[in-house]
Amino acid sequence: MATIANGAESAAAARLSPRATAWLLGCAGMLVALAVWTVLSRLFAHGGGVINRLPTPLAVARKLVAYAGNDLASDLLASLHVFAVGWLVGAASAALIGLVLGRSDWLGRIFLPIVEAIRPVSSIAWVPLAIVWFGFGLTSKVFLVGLAVFLVVIVYAVDGSRRVPADLERTATMLGMNDRQRFASLVLPGTLTEVLIGSRVALMSGWGTVIVAELVAADSGLGAHLIAVEQSYDVPAVMATMICFAATGFAMNAAFTWAERRMLPWRHDREREAT
Amino acid sequence: MTRPRRLLARHVALPLVGVECVLAIWQATLAVYRLPAIVLPSPLAVAKTLVDLVQTAAFWRDVGVSLFEFVTGYAIGVVLGMFVGMLMGEARRFRMAATPVVESLRFVVPFAWIPLTILWFGTSYVGKILLVAYAVFFVMVVSTARAVAQVEPTLSRVGTMLGMSRWRLAWQVHLRAAAPTLASAARAAAAIGWIAVVAAEYVGASAGLGLMITNAATSLATSVVIGGMVVIGVIGAGVSAGIGVLARRWFDYR
Amino acid sequence: MKIRVETPHPDPLPASGERERASVPAEREAHRGELVVEHVFHGYAAAGREIDVLHDVSFRVEPGHVACVVGPSGCGKSTLLGLAAGLLRPSRGMLRFDGAQVALGRNPHLGMAFQQPGLFPWMSVRENVAIGLRTRGQSRRDARRVADEFLDTVGLADFRDAYPSQLSGGMAQRVGIARALALRPRLLLLDEPFAAVDAFTRLKLQQEFKALLRLNRPTVLFVTHDVPEAIALGDVIVVMTQRPASVQRIIPVAREDRDRASPAYARKLADTLACLGVTSDIQD
Repeated sequence: MATIANGAESAAAARLSPRATAWLLGCAGMLVALAVWTVLSRLFAHGGGVINRLPTPLAVARKLVAYAGNDLASDLLASLHVFAVGWLVGAASAALIGLVLGRSDWLGRIFLPIVEAIRPVSSIAWVPLAIVWFGFGLTSKVFLVGLAVFLVVIVYAVDGSRRVPADLERTATMLGMNDRQRFASLVLPGTLTEVLIGSRVALMSGWGTVIVAELVAADSGLGAHLIAVEQSYDVPAVMATMICFAATGFAMNAAFTWAERRMLPWRHDREREAT
Repeated sequence: MTRPRRLLARHVALPLVGVECVLAIWQATLAVYRLPAIVLPSPLAVAKTLVDLVQTAAFWRDVGVSLFEFVTGYAIGVVLGMFVGMLMGEARRFRMAATPVVESLRFVVPFAWIPLTILWFGTSYVGKILLVAYAVFFVMVVSTARAVAQVEPTLSRVGTMLGMSRWRLAWQVHLRAAAPTLASAARAAAAIGWIAVVAAEYVGASAGLGLMITNAATSLATSVVIGGMVVIGVIGAGVSAGIGVLARRWFDYR
Repeated sequence: MKIRVETPHPDPLPASGERERASVPAEREAHRGELVVEHVFHGYAAAGREIDVLHDVSFRVEPGHVACVVGPSGCGKSTLLGLAAGLLRPSRGMLRFDGAQVALGRNPHLGMAFQQPGLFPWMSVRENVAIGLRTRGQSRRDARRVADEFLDTVGLADFRDAYPSQLSGGMAQRVGIARALALRPRLLLLDEPFAAVDAFTRLKLQQEFKALLRLNRPTVLFVTHDVPEAIALGDVIVVMTQRPASVQRIIPVAREDRDRASPAYARKLADTLACLGVTSDIQD
């Protein structure tokens, strides 16, 4: 009988830890992607075909640095300002309204179907209307972001206000809590927890809405800059701005997930939205 | 009240009360603030506009363009997304290599790509189709990879024991087992894809529902704007529901 | 204990296993139907540690015999089965069937019933039993016919067109067994197949089990935690230690030991339980 399956043992010794392999392969993947990008940009360099002018990663990086030294900070601040206000307004109103609609049987049955009907009509569809109503300024964008965040968070708020774990309810009864105490100690924290989680999920939709609002209104912020460089056919700058937008979204998401994990260590993620 | 009548009251009558409330508030706002029709048309005006639109050929052409862009992009995105997602779910090494790339691109929201597609493809339908495909692709890739990875391990062992090759195992077992989850993902992807088309048409298009609405907004034909939004909502809901029905019939074994 | 594959998701298994061929065909003939476990060690990495599951396990099962593996729960019995099935490769040591090394991946000579029935929820019961035959090349009609036969044998003829979600745990488990038997395997591996079934049904199934084996006379490796069951069904009982498991004792079972009314049975039971550290007599 030939060799034993001892190969497995020596292979185990040579194998890297799973984390190291993940890192290595991940970096390799990124490098491959960048390489493909560069090759494609060389191929398309002479304006043939539909995609003319695909800049190399290096060109984009250069534009990014230039932008950073220039208007990036102010544009970013403008966009973040819009986002922050809209997000707060949306989350707060969703928390309040969600709490009311969730706890009141009647009001809930009357108004929640309407919310459900509006939800599929994403806030993006409201952009032209918002511009008609509020013009091009801050108000229309805050309205849009607020609407987007509201529609996401309200589901969490309603759920949170309704779903008090049964054993907590029983404990409350045993301790002889009255309705007001119950509300303060059970319903409110439960709702707020869910609202927090929903607010993080709503981050990406809110941030995405900011960009659409700015693309259409185009008066200030990253979106406006994006339109401006698009109109001057500056493809590397367009891509650089897109990267800024994505990086900010990523940073906010990471910061939020970290904060959420610190504040609510006992809760796991629900569905993580794709965008 | 007898039980069926009470159920009817709760599930139909009350929501209708809600709709009534909204309409009432709408009318009241008009009356109180005396807003001109270009800011807030009456519900009746919007209804009338919708009836008029439905009878115009141009409207249906716009709807047709938007739907065509959506359906084509959706089909491409779903197929590619499921394929790559399956690859990521099955081959651990590929998943580790591809994840950073997929995750970083995921943060470049479809809407951020709109100006670039306009630069590259102009206002033609090609750019919109690619945009929808991109949006749908990312939803499906992530969901498929996760769903395939979460298939009950026993099923994989059973398949191997029965003599299935890895390829067959992936297609006939993993994909089928993940089908219900993929069906929900397909619905979510449809919603996002549809909105991506509309958004792209808002920013720059030569035809389509979004263009119709932005033109109306520019000329302050607000009832057309609101009517258009209703149409967007109806089509979006219809597409989602349609996909849901199809998915349940084909894939849901529960 | 569930079978733990090395990675959370069963990873790339080579499409065709490599079989070690014995040097001479005659030698293979001599070992036909024999299952040999030879100095097998197995461990896996989890949460940064090496967990040893099997430690120098060696035993032999004669062709056509039933070997019942008993031991404390979590001791690695299921892992042993996974190794015999070619779902895992042992860290050290070798398993041989038919004189050749058990290949990683597909092994057409074996059939296995797992602890969780593992029925494909989108297929009917009959299709579930038939799929293995179809994978091995039989026509749809033939596969269905054979599937019906074996479903009849396990008493589920009426549930041919039912779906797994409509079955109770015990019934699903029986479908799993029918599926394994329908493959007419030469090596049959069973992972606590009667665990989810109530005591009466279990006794009934034990009785029928021997009849089922008469068709093919496969070599059987049967994992159970139920010692009376092991005595009823096994030609040999392999008693394992706690994890990391090794073979504590191999207890042969003779025909007269199976009669539950006999003193021989009582002695065999006491013997086996003693190995497992359990006194056969519960004192007040």
